[in-house]
Amino acid sequence: MTPLVPLPVAVPITVAAFLLASGHFLPRRVPDLLAMATALAMTVISAVMATRSVSGPLTYWFGGWSTIGAQVVGIRFQVDPFGAALAAFAGLLFFATFIFAWGVFEKIGALFHVLMLFFLAAIDGFVLTHDLFNLFVWFEVMSVAAFSLTAYRLEASALEGAMNFTVTNSLASFCVLGGIGLIYLRVGALDFSALSQAVAADGGDPLFLGSFALLATGFLIKGAMVPFQAWLSDTHAVAPSPVSVIFSGIMVPVGLFGVVRLYFSVFAGSGVITTVLNTLGLWIGVASALLGGFMCLTQRHLKRLLAFSTISHVGVMLAAFAILSAPAQAGFLLYLLGHGLTKGALFMLSGLLLATLGGIDEIGLRGLGRQVWPAGIAFAVGGLLLGGAPVGLMDEGTRLIDAAASQAHRDWAALACLLASALTGGAVLRATGRIFLGWGKVAGEEERGPSEQEQEDANRPLWLLLLPAVVLLCLALAEGGTIQRYARLAVVALMSPGQAAHAPVPVPKPPHPILPWISTLLALLIAAFDLFRDRIPHSILVTNDRITTPLRHLLEPMHSGRVGDYVAWIVAGLAMLAIALSVAS
Amino acid sequence: MRRYRRLALFAIAMLGILPCMIGLFAHMPRFGEHPLPYGDAINLNGVRQRHVTNMVTAVNFDYRGVDTLGEEIMLIAATVGAVMLLRGSRGEELSARPGRAPGRPIAWRSTGQVLIARLMAPLILLFGLNIIIHPQLTPGGGFQGGVIVASAALLIWLGDGYRPWRRLMRSRPIEVAEAIGAAIYALCGFAPMVVGAAFLQNVLPLGKTGALISGGLILLINAGVGIAVACGFALLFIEFLQETRAEEEPDPEEREA
Amino acid sequence: MNWIPWLLAGWLFFVGIYGVISSRNYVHLVGCLAVVQSSTYVLLLSVGYRQGAGPPIFFHIPPGRAVDPVVQALVLTDIVVGATISALLLALALQVHKVKGTLDPDQLRPLRR
Repeated sequence: MTPLVPLPVAVPITVAAFLLASGHFLPRRVPDLLAMATALAMTVISAVMATRSVSGPLTYWFGGWSTIGAQVVGIRFQVDPFGAALAAFAGLLFFATFIFAWGVFEKIGALFHVLMLFFLAAIDGFVLTHDLFNLFVWFEVMSVAAFSLTAYRLEASALEGAMNFTVTNSLASFCVLGGIGLIYLRVGALDFSALSQAVAADGGDPLFLGSFALLATGFLIKGAMVPFQAWLSDTHAVAPSPVSVIFSGIMVPVGLFGVVRLYFSVFAGSGVITTVLNTLGLWIGVASALLGGFMCLTQRHLKRLLAFSTISHVGVMLAAFAILSAPAQAGFLLYLLGHGLTKGALFMLSGLLLATLGGIDEIGLRGLGRQVWPAGIAFAVGGLLLGGAPVGLMDEGTRLIDAAASQAHRDWAALACLLASALTGGAVLRATGRIFLGWGKVAGEEERGPSEQEQEDANRPLWLLLLPAVVLLCLALAEGGTIQRYARLAVVALMSPGQAAHAPVPVPKPPHPILPWISTLLALLIAAFDLFRDRIPHSILVTNDRITTPLRHLLEPMHSGRVGDYVAWIVAGLAMLAIALSVAS
Repeated sequence: MRRYRRLALFAIAMLGILPCMIGLFAHMPRFGEHPLPYGDAINLNGVRQRHVTNMVTAVNFDYRGVDTLGEEIMLIAATVGAVMLLRGSRGEELSARPGRAPGRPIAWRSTGQVLIARLMAPLILLFGLNIIIHPQLTPGGGFQGGVIVASAALLIWLGDGYRPWRRLMRSRPIEVAEAIGAAIYALCGFAPMVVGAAFLQNVLPLGKTGALISGGLILLINAGVGIAVACGFALLFIEFLQETRAEEEPDPEEREA
Repeated sequence: MNWIPWLLAGWLFFVGIYGVISSRNYVHLVGCLAVVQSSTYVLLLSVGYRQGAGPPIFFHIPPGRAVDPVVQALVLTDIVVGATISALLLALALQVHKVKGTLDPDQLRPLRR
């Protein structure tokens, strides 16, 4: 048992406890430096584990326990390449965020770093663990740290956003706990291997189906999938920018990864669940992708816009997972990494705008971005990447997903995901054009911004604000030959837990190499459409309104901001899953 | 969405869920009459392996110690969040005068209330400490006992009023103590690794079953949890009670200046 | 009747959620969330029950037949942590009341668009 395994969880907790005890006594910048060093160290350790686990999973039994006879009594971490890669990515994102957040949280001092380090420890534990209740514990720690971090700003809307977030995600925790109760009743163990053996023996047992329905509901709430997605836009609108980077960059995708991990490590032996995921899962993913993309275009608050684009891209990831083939999972990993880097950079850039220009409203900031034009270039690059440009990690992921989709005769899903990318990319490009180039003048009362003034402190120079975002974008643009091969190795261990990844999954032939170009072009067209409305013939505008206005009237009430609505939709989603599982069995 | 639409959505969803739930219940094992392999493995072997007699404590701090570490972290994160929220909007200084809600009288403490609170607070404190001290023998532990100890502190406020209570409960030392509680748990995890054992492995001498000092590392971890929980809840009480105070008024001299 | 514990857990879960959906006061909503949470505890503890067996404390009796200590351990820590999360929610409600003057969830909506 290599002693590296518990470190990504234990070290951030210890450092955070130390910071909590001594935060008042330490000089001003020491908590920042300590947190940065911890995040960097955890990235390195996770990366080392990621390479070592290719030749076989690294198993670590906590407390020295393993089994008594045939019964598993201890908790173990089983580090596989997929999970370790996610842990390394989390560490990297946290490191960049700590640099970005240098000196931001003066009022609460070291408490920000304490909560963020707890958050990092929880994410690492979540992706590395091999025990169901341990998974739940880290899931809850992630949630609670996130609740506390969101509630930092004290204007009224920040508090309401935090309340919606806390209520919906607490319900997610309760659903997960209920699911654990049901499966424990049936199997009498909590270790993934023991559970998967039981599921493989009797996959249609209603207890397994009920447990999966509750567990999937809980994780899909965290993953902001339809119909559980409404809390994300509220939360992102009010959370401080460094915190938003973490939410969209790693927390929401890791929530979805909970479903992935559970399926492949526990429930894959159940034919009923496989069928339901392959159909309903795919529809939910595509619906989220399209809903997120469409709502993205209707937003003028930059962070809400980016939040909807997260929903859209995580929907693409869910669709990729739901295809259930190996190349699709490899695409999932690459897409997650590329999206996390790009989205993190975009949130950092929005934070930059908030800090230097004092606003976050796209229309209110029109033309003001010229003062910070380097950020404009970065924004445009981010928008192009989201829109499906044929470079970088996200594109590698998209290509694998497209190929997997056509292999599985689900080309419609690939096309829907293309449309979703174009919508979100177009929205970001539109924002870039409006803010940094001054295009897209909007007449009349639209010119007035929303009522509440937002502000973040800018007590650091422009280059320091810009640097982490630029670095993340450069990483996202990296040509992913090695990473793609690593992903294809990692899925072997993901889909057959416990096996070494000897040979990478073969790359299927990409069906239509022109797709990324179409997607990018479409994104540019959508941006141009909104920016140059006054030059477009009236008839086209009327047709466009006739399509989009009913859609808006349908979808906007779903995001009303009232927590009762969100909870009602959660129950509806749970009912949908339960009925699908009953029908399929 | 209007209220009635929301409730209609809920009702329709419940119509879908109820048959599934009934079907699920029909397939559940009989209540109380199904095998408990995990529980039996611990019940039959825990005493021998860990020299403790309370199996729940053995599970919490030994067999599944990492889970409890996560739970303690959760507790600290939630407490930090609540404290950050409440303190942030008003700063740390407030007058000690009770705030006045319009139309409500300020209730005076009766002699009976003061007497009972003064009698019971130390008793409950002792009881709480008793619960914390020997979880390996009888039901109890840091989580339960910590809450009881914090509530004993609250009784002091009930009996003696805000000012004496605040003189006793100072936020800064309590925060530090809470963090030390968490640090103890984390360090108890690392210490076994120094001697080559696994994280959180029970490497201390286990003692004799039934003795007050037995169970090895369990006692130390439990002490850390007890401190963290008691201090966490005490902090919450301090911050919430401070909300009942009136705002600070400027000094008359400053107003004239 | 054999189903009573499961029915109780299901009832608490959904009636708590109904409370959250139809609530007109945030403090009431936090209480309803606590009801939903307690439904999961009822479920877990019922899962660990064994007819005619005693508690898993072997101070006076030799180790033998007892109820499941694992679920009790899981629930024990969760209850205490649930109380602190309720505290966090109530702190949020307190602050909102100070700023907005109301506790009605239907009137508390974050920034639109």
